[in-house]
Amino acid sequence: MNSQRFFVSLLTCAVLALGSASATVAAAEKKVLRFAFRTAETGFDPARIDDRYSVGVCENIYEGLLTYDYLARPVKLVPLTAEAIPEPEENGTRYTFRIRPGIYFADDPAFKGVKRELVAKDIEYSIKRFRDPKNRSQYEWLFENKLVGLDELTEKAKKSGAFDYEARVEGLEVRGKYTISFKLKEPDYNFLYVLAMPNVVPVAREVIEMYGGDTHAHPVGTGPYVLKEWTRRSKIVLEKNPTYRGHVLETKYADPADEWDQRAIEALKGKTLPAIDRVEIYPIEDEQPRFLAFLNKEHDIMDETPFSFIHQVLPNGKLAPNLAKEGVRVFREQQPELTYDVFNTRDTIGTKENPKDNPVGGYTPEKVALRRAMVLAHDRGREIEIVRKGQAIPAQSPVGPGVVGYDPNFRATAQDYDPSKAKALLDMFGYVDKDGDGWRDLPDGKPLVIQYKYNAGSQETRQLAALWNKSMADVGIRLEAVAVQFADLLKDRKVGNYMFSGTAWIADYPDAQNFLQLLYGPNGGQSNDSFFKLPEYDRLYDKAASLPDSPERNAIYREMNRLVLAYAPWRLGVHRLFNHLQYPWVKGYKKHPILYTNFKYLDLDVAAQQVAMK
Amino acid sequence: MTAYVIRRLWQMIPTLAGVILLIFFLFNFVGGDPAQVLAGKISNPEQIANIRKQLGVDEPYYVQLWVFVKQVFSFDFGRSWSTNEEVSRILLTRVGPTLTIMVPVLMIETVLAVVFAIMVAYVRGSLTDRAIMIICTTAMSISFLVYIIVFQWLFGFVLGWFPVQGWSESFWKNLTTYAPLPIMLAIFVGLAPQLRLYRSFFLEEINQDYVRTARAKGVPEKSVMMKHVLRNAMIPILTNIGIYLPGLFVGSFLLEVFFSIPGLGREIITAVNRSDFPVIKAVTVYLAMLTMIINLLVDVMYKFVDPRVSFK
Repeated sequence: MNSQRFFVSLLTCAVLALGSASATVAAAEKKVLRFAFRTAETGFDPARIDDRYSVGVCENIYEGLLTYDYLARPVKLVPLTAEAIPEPEENGTRYTFRIRPGIYFADDPAFKGVKRELVAKDIEYSIKRFRDPKNRSQYEWLFENKLVGLDELTEKAKKSGAFDYEARVEGLEVRGKYTISFKLKEPDYNFLYVLAMPNVVPVAREVIEMYGGDTHAHPVGTGPYVLKEWTRRSKIVLEKNPTYRGHVLETKYADPADEWDQRAIEALKGKTLPAIDRVEIYPIEDEQPRFLAFLNKEHDIMDETPFSFIHQVLPNGKLAPNLAKEGVRVFREQQPELTYDVFNTRDTIGTKENPKDNPVGGYTPEKVALRRAMVLAHDRGREIEIVRKGQAIPAQSPVGPGVVGYDPNFRATAQDYDPSKAKALLDMFGYVDKDGDGWRDLPDGKPLVIQYKYNAGSQETRQLAALWNKSMADVGIRLEAVAVQFADLLKDRKVGNYMFSGTAWIADYPDAQNFLQLLYGPNGGQSNDSFFKLPEYDRLYDKAASLPDSPERNAIYREMNRLVLAYAPWRLGVHRLFNHLQYPWVKGYKKHPILYTNFKYLDLDVAAQQVAMK
Repeated sequence: MTAYVIRRLWQMIPTLAGVILLIFFLFNFVGGDPAQVLAGKISNPEQIANIRKQLGVDEPYYVQLWVFVKQVFSFDFGRSWSTNEEVSRILLTRVGPTLTIMVPVLMIETVLAVVFAIMVAYVRGSLTDRAIMIICTTAMSISFLVYIIVFQWLFGFVLGWFPVQGWSESFWKNLTTYAPLPIMLAIFVGLAPQLRLYRSFFLEEINQDYVRTARAKGVPEKSVMMKHVLRNAMIPILTNIGIYLPGLFVGSFLLEVFFSIPGLGREIITAVNRSDFPVIKAVTVYLAMLTMIINLLVDVMYKFVDPRVSFK
């Protein structure tokens, strides 16, 4: 080899070595956040999903017109792809949005190499998809009986078998490239919340048509991340969307006294987000591996510490010393949710052909007294202590905390544990042991047996059923706990073939209405599983629905709460407390009560992460 | 033999018809209504009817049965009702991880069980034999779940020899990094009952007259055990493996859930929870077919193990 060739070879090797070294450095500096979902995802077609894990991924890929401020508490709507939050027009029946020009979808073969801008027609198309019967959207109800002309289009589609996406809908008026105006049938001051839901986001028609039956695997949005890899039920990888315009942390609604807000501001000040290059999500259904993976530092965050490990994480309510030594921080969250037990308030259960008397149904004084006595006899303190491992607080109203219209000062003494009062109430209304078998009977002397249906597949529901059994036995009420498959339980509740059953509700949007609609008479068999039908309640609900957030509306909500306590269609359960853990190298963490994920606001100290992992 | 195989294949048709009818009956009358799960939090009877129509579960039973039969013979069960993924794709992508765990388990467990069983059978009645039997009985009386929890905590977390959970796209990485702990666990749990069973097969052979005759003729003990006893005990052992084989494809739901392995076992349980009938139907039918084919193969193998076996 001559000296020139030798020199060239040497130079080539040096360049290659340098290149490889810098690539190694770059790879080493890549910010990778690792995280577990506690349930497997379904897919990422926003119109066709309703589980919070799939929705949580979509939050990072798609962008709706509106979203919530990351730091503001109580939550605050802010524009996302819209230029501004519109004022209601025409007495709350019209909202007109202008989309910010220059927002582009992530690159995808469906766009054939052309940059694809987000336009008003995408919003129109995406909302129509919710009402296309073919999509079987679980969130169809958001647009049902809402936008002028949309229901009629759906009806036509049901008859013809094809949804006409070209048809003009008065309620979805596209006014130029960037403007869309929604015309509602009735005034609805909560409509803006609907447009902030992570499901209600624009999708590109070309993408949907190209991927047809597999839209779950091809999410293409305008958001900060793209789906890079997906091994169903095993691994979801998001990477920064190269075409994303970037965003900064909004700090004007931050609380100066909130340490999480201040830490986030400090960590993200002046940065263009997202800061995380890659997010790796692992659906791990079982609690032990999820917990151990976090302790092993295989994951950086653990959302919702499993209740079975709560005493190891928070002995006596304080972070365990071994975790504190590692710098782990715990974010304690009260979600806008509620657990409750539903009484079927109809007089009979079963089929039309074979109806059976329902002892807990009806509105006569003795029926109401029975329900109220059962509520008083249930030991909620033991439920919190044993089943919830202390991670819950008793609910005082049928509304979850943190939503607009929630009254933290409202107290439900009618739901406090008081077995003596329960016994007195039962005695007073004739529920006494008439045949001497040790159990109370109905006032007419017939045996009193109350059936409690619960989901057979959950340990928690089994424990709750056992607690109900014991609580009722303590006051002489014979309870028959019946384990049912989940699908059958849903069906039984929808058709009213049950007496009494437990369930939970998490807010879809942060307004009390989302909870109170669960007891609205016309919603019987849809979301009102109790079939509660009280004209006074319905009248108040209708009145509140036509009002914006105001003291007047809050007064109506308080009155509705009182009616619920008086007629006891529900036994109010608890608001669960969730403990989210994260290692100190995760920066900017704050859990949002409505948005499920916060990847796009986080940063990582990679050096600290790597040192800890060694 | 060809006639025998053809006859057996022919006999599979009524068996498969029985399986189809049984599955159809169970799913339609005891399986719950998938539309209720798919409808979401807020739904009305009209939406549920729409979902039922799209899934085809509102059709008369004979129509649904005909569709099912067509699916079986076309090997196309359509798409999952809950995720819209093609059922064939679900099965193809999930069976790999399951087999990555279960094939080594079957191979190692069988070899170990046979070797240990023949050893303890040879020293039957001795302190070693009794000690091993006590250990086996104790090991068998502890729940699989307990083993998983303890092994995962001890070897994954405390000692850090293996990752606590996980799976990757690379077969080699899975086999060397993620699979060893679940494999070790499955072998540990499965070895005790197999060893006891195979020991009893060997003891039964050891007590046969031909063994006594061989020994009386002065055949060395090693030859008696390896050539005579082992060979004759292979028929019940093969039968046992044959029973075990279809389970290989279903895997262990507990292992897959605890170690986050994207296998078929986890998929089946998810499908059952979501009343995802196309997935459940496909798995059940294919498993029934697999069981019949494996039974046939095992029967054919008897001939190779023991030439005295004749096909009738």
